[in-house]
Amino acid sequence: MPHADTAAADDDDTCIDARHISKVYGRTSAVDDVTFRVQRGRIFGFLGPNGAGKSTTIKMLTTLVRPTSGDISILGIDAMKSPLQVRQRIGVVLQQPSYEPTLSVEKALDKYGMMWGVPRGVRRDRTESLLEEFDLAEVRGRRNEDLSIGQRRRVQVAREFMHDMDLLFLDEPTVGLDPSARRDLLDYLQNRVRETGLSIFYTTHILTEAEYLCDEIAIMNRGRLLEVDTPDALKAKLGDEKTIKIHLPHRPPNIRDLLSGMDGCRIEFGGDRRTTVTIRSSESELVLLRVLGILHENRVEIEDLSAVPTSLEEIFLNMTEELRGQQQQQGGPDAGAGADVSGGGDGGRRRTGRRGGSRA
Amino acid sequence: MTHPILRLVNRNLTISLNPGFLIWQVIFPLVYIFVAGFAYAPLVQGISFGAAKDLDYPAFLASGMIGFNIMNSTLVSGIIIWNDRRHGMFEQIMSGPFTRGHYIISNICTIAIVGLVSAAFIMAVGYPVFFEDAEISIVTMPIIVFGAVAGSVLFGSLASIISTRLRSSEGFNVIINTVFLFFAFVSTAFYPAEGVQEPLRTAFYLNPLTYLVDVIRAGIFGSVDAFVAVEVAVLAVLACALFVVASRLLTRLNV
Repeated sequence: MPHADTAAADDDDTCIDARHISKVYGRTSAVDDVTFRVQRGRIFGFLGPNGAGKSTTIKMLTTLVRPTSGDISILGIDAMKSPLQVRQRIGVVLQQPSYEPTLSVEKALDKYGMMWGVPRGVRRDRTESLLEEFDLAEVRGRRNEDLSIGQRRRVQVAREFMHDMDLLFLDEPTVGLDPSARRDLLDYLQNRVRETGLSIFYTTHILTEAEYLCDEIAIMNRGRLLEVDTPDALKAKLGDEKTIKIHLPHRPPNIRDLLSGMDGCRIEFGGDRRTTVTIRSSESELVLLRVLGILHENRVEIEDLSAVPTSLEEIFLNMTEELRGQQQQQGGPDAGAGADVSGGGDGGRRRTGRRGGSRA
Repeated sequence: MTHPILRLVNRNLTISLNPGFLIWQVIFPLVYIFVAGFAYAPLVQGISFGAAKDLDYPAFLASGMIGFNIMNSTLVSGIIIWNDRRHGMFEQIMSGPFTRGHYIISNICTIAIVGLVSAAFIMAVGYPVFFEDAEISIVTMPIIVFGAVAGSVLFGSLASIISTRLRSSEGFNVIINTVFLFFAFVSTAFYPAEGVQEPLRTAFYLNPLTYLVDVIRAGIFGSVDAFVAVEVAVLAVLACALFVVASRLLTRLNV
């Protein structure tokens, strides 16, 4: 639920405006010249492998850590000048577990609401509703230290909804959750955004989650921002390659020679008996026709054939692999190739409009 | 909406005052006063105190237990910071509507409240033991309250300093237990400094608990002299110094 008194006060539609932010620890650059913008009422995914700089970025955005350089504006407030004002309007679920070990689930929710100054009556109603929505009613009287990791994580996320906020930061919130609880959480977040206009900044390294949940995605690696766009646009821009899989009942001894002359594609042989041929190409239709022609001419039997569109995961892996290759060529892990990509979240980008469970 | 410091104090008290803590705070001093106090009484007779007063051992011990319990309870409350760091709540609170100043002051307030309540409790429990000798007056009462608050701040700050420097539970437990052992037994809480051989006697006066216990005991039995005035000053200086160090360390604590 947004802050009624402040939601309308800000003059534009941007809830996060990070400009050239960097964070250096000693001689290590954790975040390097990152620029992006996030619009209100959106779910912004921040993707990257472990150590990419996601948590450092979220700590800078939530004012926990001061950037070495750059500017951050959160909900129209200068985060460097008025960090407390920012923190009064955001919610934060950090990556590491945080809990009061001796408090029961119910008491932990209530006390967290109290810490935010939520009136007692409102706290009581919200506690009841969150216990139901996060499937915690059965363990309401159990102490936090006696909960499973997944239950504790659910309490950690649920309690953030005890207070009003305009922007919620979630740093890998599904860690420790089973698939069902994970899906329930993602759906809950989508509903909150739809119903209340809440904005969410969501970091994860689980790509299917980002694809399912986010309106926009930023891909980060080694402290650099590589791309910012909608999941569809990223796939269109970077995932023009398709994967063709051909399953053969038997593997002809000369199959490698037969396909060796193919241009514009990468061919791999896999499966238990090496009878699966995987072909990746940006000219998949053309390549498929040629492969089928060769197999037909040589009387090679086909058991099954499929063409798979490129997933976000493949795009991500390709991008990070590409970056690693470029860094190795330039001699050293810090010789960054990831160009600064700004302008994510600009008004011209479309909403995916694919909420409601059709993805993932 | 209540002030952020009050909200944090409310939260700190809720998490500190768990049943285990309360039982420890009640049972421990009761055993000392009513078991050790009366059991040792035949061995320790007529402790000279002040200008012209002898105290029996139970009265001496019960008054010493006030300072001891303040130290005990505030060391435990002072580890709120360590617990918060260990369970991720420090970062969580710092990402909420609070400043580090709010956090530091709320911890000190919590510690002071716990210290004062603890002192009041032992005063009430121990009163039947020392009421015959007690000379609490309008002059000595502020000295007792000052001692309780300054002692709370002192030991709470000390626990906070240890909390900011250590992460592992093993290291933390070793340090806090060693500190506790030294403070508890190398002090005037259980026995008078007079008659103790050197260098142990000097060690007594390197221990802040000795100053705390002496000040409170002097307040209860109405024997405030020049030496006690010096002890009040030492207690105040130590409490201020440790509070400043604790605040600085907390301000610089990384999240």
